[in-house]
Amino acid sequence: MKRTFPLILVFVFGILGIIPFFVPHPVVQNADGFLRNEFLRILVAFALVLGLGSLLKVHIDKIKRRRENWQYSWILIISFLISAIIGLFGGVRGTGILPTSIGSFQFDIWTIYWNVVMPLGSTMFALLAFFMASAAYRAFRARSTEATLLLAAAFVVMLGVLPLGDRISPHLPSFAQWIMDVPNVAGQRGILFGVALGALATALKIILGIERSWLGGGRE
Amino acid sequence: MNISSDPWIWISALMSLAIFSFLYRDNPFYRFAEHIFVGVANGWAVTFYWHNVLSPSLFDPLFRQGQVYYILPFVVGMLYFTRFIPRVSWLVRIPIGLYMGYYIGVSIPSTLQAYIIKQVQGTILTSQNFQTWNAGSMGVVWSVILLIGVMCTLAYFFFSREHKGALGIASRIGIIFVMVGFGAAFGYTVMARISLLIGRLQFLLGPWLGVIE
Amino acid sequence: MKIIETLTNIDRRIIYLILLIVVLLPLLFPSVEKVRVMAPVEKLYYAIDTIPSEKAVIVDFDYEPQTAPELDPMGFAILRHVFERRIKLLVLSLYVQPLGLAQNALTQVTEEFNSVAKTNADSIIYGRDYVFLGWVPPPIIPILGMAESITSVYTVDYYGNQTDTLPLMQEVTNYNDVGLLVSLSGSDIPKWWVAYAQSRFGLPVGAGITAVSASEFYPYLQTGQFSGLLVGMKGGAEYEEMVERTLKIKVRRKASEALLSLTYAHLVMILFIVIGNIGYFAKRRKK
Repeated sequence: MKRTFPLILVFVFGILGIIPFFVPHPVVQNADGFLRNEFLRILVAFALVLGLGSLLKVHIDKIKRRRENWQYSWILIISFLISAIIGLFGGVRGTGILPTSIGSFQFDIWTIYWNVVMPLGSTMFALLAFFMASAAYRAFRARSTEATLLLAAAFVVMLGVLPLGDRISPHLPSFAQWIMDVPNVAGQRGILFGVALGALATALKIILGIERSWLGGGRE
Repeated sequence: MNISSDPWIWISALMSLAIFSFLYRDNPFYRFAEHIFVGVANGWAVTFYWHNVLSPSLFDPLFRQGQVYYILPFVVGMLYFTRFIPRVSWLVRIPIGLYMGYYIGVSIPSTLQAYIIKQVQGTILTSQNFQTWNAGSMGVVWSVILLIGVMCTLAYFFFSREHKGALGIASRIGIIFVMVGFGAAFGYTVMARISLLIGRLQFLLGPWLGVIE
Repeated sequence: MKIIETLTNIDRRIIYLILLIVVLLPLLFPSVEKVRVMAPVEKLYYAIDTIPSEKAVIVDFDYEPQTAPELDPMGFAILRHVFERRIKLLVLSLYVQPLGLAQNALTQVTEEFNSVAKTNADSIIYGRDYVFLGWVPPPIIPILGMAESITSVYTVDYYGNQTDTLPLMQEVTNYNDVGLLVSLSGSDIPKWWVAYAQSRFGLPVGAGITAVSASEFYPYLQTGQFSGLLVGMKGGAEYEEMVERTLKIKVRRKASEALLSLTYAHLVMILFIVIGNIGYFAKRRKK
């Protein structure tokens, strides 16, 4: 029952997901729309809360057991609580019951997003440029014919996509474009077929109950 | 130089520099900024999910407008929290199974159509391919090379037989196409990462330090 | 040999510093680099340009702030193109994070146009010329739901207005009234539009993507599933070039200004790789 009922649900709702693709009848389409708009939309929101609960549990646990760098978990929890309170009670546009400005200093949720979340996230991604440079310097070696081919294609594309490529030779940008249009498409398409067929097979296995790892471990 | 006097610009800039400090080595400033990021990003997400989804789509219709049938998604959604109660944690499989089943069902015909059938159509040779010879419009030469490339790439990833004989030759040709593709991907990745660094530097030089417009 | 030894054992922090200087210096003296517009960008430009007057364009802003340096220039250039041609415009996001970026782009570009408009007809008016639909999760809901009715999926727009009261939404009811959807994203979202909206309802889709994803999106361009493709900051610069050249819109070209930094950074990367390989082959020969 504990495993059978969820498997039945996956099968039934899987079929309910497939049918509207083939049956354009308004009854089927309207039922599909109702299921999506009134039911599944709400489930997704609860899933976020679950993810959040898990995150907080991990950090509260870290604080309780005084694990390494547990002090930073306090920072995470406090910053989460402050931003959640400002957002929930201050409103999305700062029009809630909690005031979100002191004089000309605004601290509504969008201001916090633009000035805290956005720069932090952007900078974390910007670090990758440095790591990539260091990794390329240390590890990118023309050890074999294939690796040399990879390097050569990389150099052609790196030079060809920029205005410098045009100055080196007017054919270089076209050659770089050809690399993207022909050999790249051939290689990527072969990989894409494998991935798509694998995903399709896994999807069918889950719906048919052959693949049960999503149920979690244990006999229950 | 026209350094900003906006406190929020300073907060953004100092947070950015705290993250950049990781380049020297791991340090408390970096960890502080990292944890702030995770905390605030989640607080921000909770705000939107409440105001834009849960409140108008569930709590208002159910508790304020008395639309009783919303009790069903409410109850099923609440089952997500049984994950934290070991005795009844199996109930979390119900909302997961429901959503995952539907989503997988929707994706099957779409995946087949868009990622397989259409891609096969783009690979096979048709009379249209034989009408032109020039490179710009995928003339027959490039179409044949593309077909050979796709077949050889698939041969390379076929591991059920040893790569000997014809299969061995095909897989060697296939790996050439794969390597060229990966090389092109690396070239573009370099551009992508540098672009992100440029974006951050433009902020630090512009709105913060006022060195550039 | 000692020189080679030294060159191949450079501390990573020196590498970081060299890269930083090489990227920073051109930014201090920005100049606009002229770019050659390639076929994928031209395809998207003309796909938008030749949309029938009764049809609308949907622009899906689905990139996060982390990838804004690559995709913002594209977004701005496309909005300028759409507004200049007076094509009906709907803007949406499938996730919540890009909403601020979409609003920022719309606000800036409409201000650019309205600051030089002389009459009401010249101005860009919300509700008449464009609508910002906002966000409805999960993504599958708007992708599939808009085929039936856009206003039933987005009952209120981003600003809280009832969408069925807006003049533009009287003319654009579902995908039949949409000529093209352009998805700007740092992930696989344009492929979702192709898989779910295009394969089921025939919606034409164009894409603006980060350079990291470029190689995996080209197969879809080749099959015609994408009506055009903009890749990374260079793609943004090419679109800016097309907009300036054909529509004579002269504004600050942020992507084009960054190309010199990109160029020097690429050259330095190539140099690092070459030095690393020289050291590798020298050591191998020594053995």
